[in-house]
Parts: sequence; structure tokens; C-alpha cells
Amino acid sequence: MNAPVGHYQYQTADREFLASRIAEFEGQVQRRLSGELTEDEFKPLRLMNGLYLQLHAYMLRIAIPYGVLDSRQMRKLAHIARHYDRNYGHFTTRQNIQFNWIKLEETPEILRQLADVDMHAIQTSGNCIRNVTCDQFAGAAADELMDPRVHAEILRQWSTLHPEFTFLPRKFKIAISGSPHDRVAARFHDIGILARPGEHGPLFRIFVGGGLGRTPLVGHELFDSVPEADLLMTLEAVLRVYNAYGRRDNIYKARIKILVQALGIEGYRKAVEHELSLMNPAHYRLAPETVAAIRARFAAPDLTASPDAEARLRNDRQGNIAFDRWVRSNTHPHFAPGRIAVTVSIKPAGGIPGDATSDQLDRLADLADQFSFGELRVTHLQNVVLAHVAQDKLLELWEVLNEIGLADANHELIGDIVACPGLDYCALANARSIPIAQKLSARFGIMRCRKRSANCASISRDASMPVAIIMSGISACLVLTNVVRSFSRSLWVVAMMHCHVPVTYSGRPCRKMIWLMPSPVSSIAI
Amino acid sequence: MKRAIRIGAGEALVLTANRLLDGHIVWRDSHGLWQRSIVHAAIFSPETYEAELETAIKSAQSDGVVGVYEVVVRPGIPAEPVSVRERIRAFGPTVHPQFATELDA
Repeated sequence: MNAPVGHYQYQTADREFLASRIAEFEGQVQRRLSGELTEDEFKPLRLMNGLYLQLHAYMLRIAIPYGVLDSRQMRKLAHIARHYDRNYGHFTTRQNIQFNWIKLEETPEILRQLADVDMHAIQTSGNCIRNVTCDQFAGAAADELMDPRVHAEILRQWSTLHPEFTFLPRKFKIAISGSPHDRVAARFHDIGILARPGEHGPLFRIFVGGGLGRTPLVGHELFDSVPEADLLMTLEAVLRVYNAYGRRDNIYKARIKILVQALGIEGYRKAVEHELSLMNPAHYRLAPETVAAIRARFAAPDLTASPDAEARLRNDRQGNIAFDRWVRSNTHPHFAPGRIAVTVSIKPAGGIPGDATSDQLDRLADLADQFSFGELRVTHLQNVVLAHVAQDKLLELWEVLNEIGLADANHELIGDIVACPGLDYCALANARSIPIAQKLSARFGIMRCRKRSANCASISRDASMPVAIIMSGISACLVLTNVVRSFSRSLWVVAMMHCHVPVTYSGRPCRKMIWLMPSPVSSIAI
Repeated sequence: MKRAIRIGAGEALVLTANRLLDGHIVWRDSHGLWQRSIVHAAIFSPETYEAELETAIKSAQSDGVVGVYEVVVRPGIPAEPVSVRERIRAFGPTVHPQFATELDA
């Protein structure tokens, strides 16, 4: 097999590890079914393998490291949706995919099938370091300073089964971008990393203590310029301070953002620096040859395009208003002449954000083979990216997307709503988020908010500024003091994040992020 | 720790769980068997449900179910859970009507 474009190619050791891990889990399932393990004993074991027990069935969340997968992996996901679930999958904000109707007894077989294409479900739940997310345009964007995927892969390997960080106070989320336009919401993560090239190698700006959830906070800059050699040591120290001092007495106050808030960023930095002073830099040093070895396991595509590709795209856009509108909203400039990055919206107006049928997953795999070197990316906004499309093929791609219902021109507009599954599936939720997202996207569609629009005036006052609507179904956030009950009787605007510092969300300046939660006593009848 | 439940006037209780093998929601009938539909659920008064709940929890492993607990309902055919969450469990997700629970199952 040729090396996959865009993501790390597994070695024999990776595959042997997965096989042994599946055998271990299969044994645990058998012990649970025989009664040898109680549910209380089994629960942490299944969670370590991404298996939740939700409202209607088991839910399996499958890891897609930094959101990048290849067409054979996407076809395998379609196969799992078709044969083990109910014919669809749900893309998540950690660039993963989850299936909501899984059977416990079939889970080991599903994991074996995933391992056949170098995939797994490890660390997609539990109080550990979750899937490291990455810029969806990594290695493609014209504005990129450095490709963050190699370091995302290094972080994946470092954090996978890290013995010290398997039982953290709470789940832990890391994002990394190599663009000056933060497209990973770095300041809304436990740790956000912005990478850039330096005179003597890559440098990393590290933010800590951001997040949404019931206490939405913007992360603080911890260090401005961590050299590559010290990256893992620094992250290790940040995690150690959190592991040692993070609260374990109250699940709602256990995230690192609460600790950073309690200590203050100066206090947290001092604690990290103290920890660093106790560590042996040589032991943690990230050597250039290690980075080079991992970089070598990523295949680079030949991005040469037809010399007239850009001219042909310009011509295709003329006289085709719908295509032109889609190009304006759903594409991103590529660094290679004649290429363009495409965001396939998984948010049809009135549809369920992030849901794709098995047929659509198969067709996306076909489109990846046909237009983007067999590579796809899942975005943290629950869409899919084809990163390397030749501009003269864009119209052809759009026409196929139209056929399969995935050509909505709403990327980063109000219809591009992020929504958790909410009460319809999630055992933790107490409000239904998806029906509200469906009604909002059906109502607003692809409309750009205008200054004088009565419907949108309260949402955005600037047509050029995207509105980020993030829908949560967990009402713990109601304790916020800045709750404003508005918008409609069935929605509570639980957080209007007025950012007083320059913050970007999904690559664009954002001073207002609207975080909605449907009222638990929603007026929408079941 | 036992969860506090609030039972209003005219309301009663049924027992529910998830099947261990596939996670499907089940309801306890008057013979102590677990059924797929709430239509078959036995209705208990606030005074009688606790003994049945204790019995059901003890036999959960041999019955192949997990997470047994009580749900407050308004008696009827079918019994209608009082909370939105339990109505979704009983009748299926509101966003995928094709996955609605078959009540005569």
C-alpha cells in the first residue's frame, strides 16, 4: 500500500499494539457478560475504549487523530454505520466520529475492523488527554506558517496511554495550529498551541485554561516562544501541575481552567516553572531526528495543477450564481497555485449538524479519491474538508456534492451551527439541542446577517463577522450569572462571550460568540 | 446515593433499565420480565415500587440488564413518563422519527 497522504502511516508496532488492546477489551467484555465484572468495574474499562452507554444504546466514539483520514478509512466508517449502526455517523467537535446505536457484543469486532484500517477508539472518553485537534487546512492553507500535523502526531504519540495522565481530574483537550489565524479555537482549549517557524527551529506559543462548557473562559498565554526541543517537557509540566492541584472533589470545577482561574495565570506559570526546574531536560528533549522520522511517515501529494486552473475557475463562477456563492463561502486559499481547499458542509438547512449517512460517507471517500489524493479532514465545526482540490475541477466537485445533498453554501455563516447530540441521545444532557439547531438553520439558511436585519440585529452587527453558534444540551451552565433569557422562549443564551482581547474563532476575528442552550422545558412539543 | 424523586398527584412509577448486550431500553412487566415497550410496563404505586426495584437490581446480571431505576409516569396506555428525558427514552429520539420505539414490540 502507498503511504497515506495527510496522516501518519502506522508501523508494525502500532498494529501489534492495537491487536493486543482489542484482545484485552474482548476479554473484558466477556467477563462483563459472564458477570465476573460488575457494571461499576466495567464502566471505566469500556470508556477507555470509547464506549459509552447512552440513552438508547451504546455509543462508540472513534478517534480521528487531528481530524485527518483517508478514503479507505472513511469507507470503513461507512461500513460500520451500515452494518453495525443505523446507517449514519455523527462528526464531533473533536474531529472524531461517533455511532449512536452500537451493541456491546459487537464492539470487539468493530474495533478489529477499525484496526484493519489503522483506527481505534482509545482515549475518546474518560479523564485523559483526548484527541489532539488541528487546523483543518494544515499543509494546505496559503496563510500557514508551518504545518502543525507532524507536531500533532508527536502529541498524539506522547499522550496515548501516558501512564501519568490516564486519570486526570477531568478530560483534557489540546489543539494546535500553524497559522497566524487561529482556526482551532486555541484559546478555548485546556491547552492551545500556535506554532510558527523560528530562527533556530519551530517555536510554540502556548495558551492554557480556556474552554466552553458551563464556565466559558478565554485561555491565557502561558509562554510565548517554547522551542521545539522543550515542547513535550513544557506540556508535561503543565499537565503535572494540573494533575497535582486540579480539583477532584467537584466534577464541575475539575477542568484546568478552574485551576488557572484560582491561581491566576502568574501563579500557574510560576508553578509550571517550578515543575520544569525539577525535570531533566535531556530526558524530555524532542530531538530534531525524532521529528524528522515522524515527518517521513507523512506522504506529500504532488500539488502541481494545470496552468489554466485558476482561469477556468474564474470562468466557471461567472454566470453560475449558486456555484459562485458556494465558492465564496466554502473554499479557502491554498498555498499551491491552481489548488483550493474545500469545506463540505455537513449542515444542510434544517438538518442535523454533523450527521452523515453511510452512503454520503462512501461518496465522500470517492470524492476524496477523485479530487484530493484520497485524503479527508473532519473539522472541529463538524464539517469535512477536501484540502487539495484542483481549481479547474471545483465545478465538477460541487455538482456531485449537490447530488448527494452536501453542497450547502453556509460555512461559517449562521447555518453552520455546532451542536452536541443533546437530550435525544446523551445521558448527561437535559435539553434538546439538535431540534433547535435544525429550526435555526432552517429559518436562517445561508443568510448573511446584515446590519439592519431585524432578525439578526441582536446576533451580529457586522456582515463580515461570522457568528459562532454553539449549542449545548447540558444545562449546568444555568448557574452563570450572565444568563440572558432572550432570543426566543425556548432558548436561553447562556453565554455571550464578549472578548476584550483579539480572539479568532475558526480563523476569523470574533468578538461575540453566542452559546445557546435550549430550555429543558422547551416549548417545542415532542 | 439514592436519587430523590418527586411524585405528583395521580402519578405512579415504572421500572426501566438498559439491556446489557445492546444497550436497548427495557421496561419491567408484571411478571418481572424486561420488555422493549413501555406499553408492557407494570405500574407501581409509590408505596410498592421500592420492593420491586430492590428485586430487579438484585437480578439485573442474570436478567441481562444494567442501570435499573424507577421512572415517574402518568398511568395510561401507554404510561407516559413525566420528564422529557424519560419520554425520549420511552418513545425514541425526537430528531430521528424513523427510530421511534415500536410500542407494540
